[in-house]
Amino acid sequence: MNNFIPAFVIDRASILERLGDDVEIYKMMLDMYLQDVENNCSALATSLAAGDFETLLREVHTVKGLLATFSDDAGTVEAQRMETQLKCGDTAGMTDAVPALQARLREVARVLAVEVAR
Amino acid sequence: MHTVLIIDDSDINLTLIKALVLKLGDCHPVLFESPLKALEWCHDNVPDLVIVDYMMPDMDGLRFIAAFRGLHERNEIPVLMITANDQKDIRYEALLGGANDFLTKPIDRVEFTARARNMLNLRQGQKYMANHVQELEIRVQERTRDIREREKELIFRISRAAEFRDPETGAHIQRMAHFSAVIAKGLDLDAKTQRLILEASPMHDVGKIGIPDFILLKPGKLTHEEFEVMKRHAALGYELLKNSGSEILQAGAEIALSHHEKFDGSGYPKGLAGSKIPLFGRIVAVADVFDALTSERPYKRAWTLDAACKFLEDGRGVHFDPLCVEAFLAGWEEVQEIRQRFQDEDIPAI
Repeated sequence: MNNFIPAFVIDRASILERLGDDVEIYKMMLDMYLQDVENNCSALATSLAAGDFETLLREVHTVKGLLATFSDDAGTVEAQRMETQLKCGDTAGMTDAVPALQARLREVARVLAVEVAR
Repeated sequence: MHTVLIIDDSDINLTLIKALVLKLGDCHPVLFESPLKALEWCHDNVPDLVIVDYMMPDMDGLRFIAAFRGLHERNEIPVLMITANDQKDIRYEALLGGANDFLTKPIDRVEFTARARNMLNLRQGQKYMANHVQELEIRVQERTRDIREREKELIFRISRAAEFRDPETGAHIQRMAHFSAVIAKGLDLDAKTQRLILEASPMHDVGKIGIPDFILLKPGKLTHEEFEVMKRHAALGYELLKNSGSEILQAGAEIALSHHEKFDGSGYPKGLAGSKIPLFGRIVAVADVFDALTSERPYKRAWTLDAACKFLEDGRGVHFDPLCVEAFLAGWEEVQEIRQRFQDEDIPAI
């Protein structure tokens, strides 16, 4: 992943606006992200290790949607870049990109965990 | 209550969409991570709205929509497909493949609510129209049945009016009508045609209304001139019933005109022979003669069944269509049952 990607800062207002200011759904989404994040990381790693780039493409696509849900624009752009590359059948650099994406998912998780604890 | 089918392989999306659907109110969300399992569910269940993700394992959203649209009566059900902003080509393909609208990821509640409500309103309109059409169909069927029943009753009463003027009885009408239906069945005519001849044959002698009493009620043998007048009842009946918009009256007109024709061409009024005689006329000829022979009248005793059957058999190819005689005798058990059911002093409704 691009080394210059900015750190994730939660934009509560933008997420809540998209959820129609529904705090109940917002909290539920945070909980679900935290519950699922390690599964998402494992799925990325497993498909990469197996050389199953079709599944990897789908997992990256899922992660892209997940990061977009929490308004992580930078993370979304990076996932989008990987998705476009995989769609073209270009798998070069995935061994670096996948761990970077996992790291981003975990970074977002840490911020969201703090948000949950608020 | 609207059933909303949601298909997305991502747990978090399923949960989010479910929560948004519940916020719509009066909705029952049904969730599937697997499009294949969702499709299986759709075989036995009809959702009011389908929300399906594009990118999923096993089957993508486009293939799901195509398979869903292929199921019986699922063509009109609204489908919302979830796509990313950059998937314009997929959106075009989905539109052509049967999606009604799209939701963009990340899902926005305002957009979701508006699009989902639009789709549910569309579905409600479809259901209302379908119910309305069904209600109208039922009402038309009821009215048609009423009209047909009234038509049958009028026909029976007209036929009775004619029969009252001569020694025949109401039971004779019933028996010969049912005998005609037995023959029609024996000839493998379809159920609708059997029903038509049952309802139309009672009018075979309606032209007798126009025959003077001194001829119609004469106890002895008719003179040649009197018989010529009597023969006019066939054409009179036809004149009375012809050109009607009613299928039963049309058939009645044909029967009235042709039931005294004979297979060898020696009958009246036209002297038609063989297959030139309308089939209904050939059928009614057998039914009418058999019942007249086996009924007791003030001027004659009833023939035995054996004698009447022999008369029919001897008349094959001469008076009667051989196939009609054969069909009548093949239905002998039913003939017996009809004779039991409609006796001269007892006249149940048709």
